[in-house]
Amino acid sequence: MNIYLKKFGTLLTSRQLGKEAFAIFKISLNKLKHGEKLIIDFEGVEVFSPSWGDEFLTPLINQYGERLVLKNTKNASVQATLDMLEKIHGYKFTIDKK
Amino acid sequence: MKDEYKNIRKAAEILGVSINTLRRWDETGKLKSIREKAGKHRFYRRKDLELFKMSLFDLAMDWALDKKGYGPEDKFYCQNSSIFQGRLDHLTGDLKRIPELSILYSLISLITGEIGNNSFDHNLGNWPDIPGIFFGYDINKKEIVLADRGQGIFYTLKRVKPDLKNHKEALSVAFTDFISGRAPEARGNGLKLVRKVIEKNPINLEFQSGDALLKLQRDGKKLNIKKGQKSIRGCIALIKF
Repeated sequence: MNIYLKKFGTLLTSRQLGKEAFAIFKISLNKLKHGEKLIIDFEGVEVFSPSWGDEFLTPLINQYGERLVLKNTKNASVQATLDMLEKIHGYKFTIDKK
Repeated sequence: MKDEYKNIRKAAEILGVSINTLRRWDETGKLKSIREKAGKHRFYRRKDLELFKMSLFDLAMDWALDKKGYGPEDKFYCQNSSIFQGRLDHLTGDLKRIPELSILYSLISLITGEIGNNSFDHNLGNWPDIPGIFFGYDINKKEIVLADRGQGIFYTLKRVKPDLKNHKEALSVAFTDFISGRAPEARGNGLKLVRKVIEKNPINLEFQSGDALLKLQRDGKKLNIKKGQKSIRGCIALIKF
């Protein structure tokens, strides 16, 4: 399953907005098949903050582990935030570098 | 002679403040007008206005320090986080148009967002007087200013770290220690991210809360926290890039 984060906006900051985005998104997780990868695509995201990311990505990595794959993560704020989340929580994201 | 004096409307335009602000400044003596007689129209000398033209930082500090508290100029006032989000989006667009910021723009917006949202997250429902933040930027001067009249870092951090002794210690913790765990309140560790981003990039930050003033810059390994000239209850930040 491919998810384009820009569908939630290109400026992904604030904990409250991350929480709201996840509440909407988790309904569509019912469509994820057994063993299928969940690919989160950052294409077009301009600003990505730890508080938004924490609300959205932390529950996903806790539930899906390595099945969660992140794509198009070159934006400087995306990289800085992913590094920060890994440091805070001690998990490691799987990044598709193709 | 005609060019030497400006009426209050023109003076407000030149200084980028409202007519009411000029009237208040006249009454408090901060910027006196010239009047032929009491009750007559106010006029201002052009040279006085030029001298008085305050920087964004001065305006924000003036607002943050005011004893009674008042809503800042509309163009700087983000009463809630939705307004801030909209204006942050605008800043991101303005920064992105500058060719030499093609990579840095997202990081400048990121740290601006973290500092602004930090004010909202930690003061929601507890603003002592004026809710919301002052947020202004000058692309030509390459500076961004944020301020709030909230409870300040020391008071808000004390809720999770009761042993904290003063503003300096609180700022040090806010920009250094990872407060993990989601109880008693969720924390994004945004100010730690601000520090990490600035350490690696050509961005400077001055951040004050209480009487503690922190200065961050690229390659600054040690936290530089000194006593500010004046103590403010909330927070004020000056970002230069």
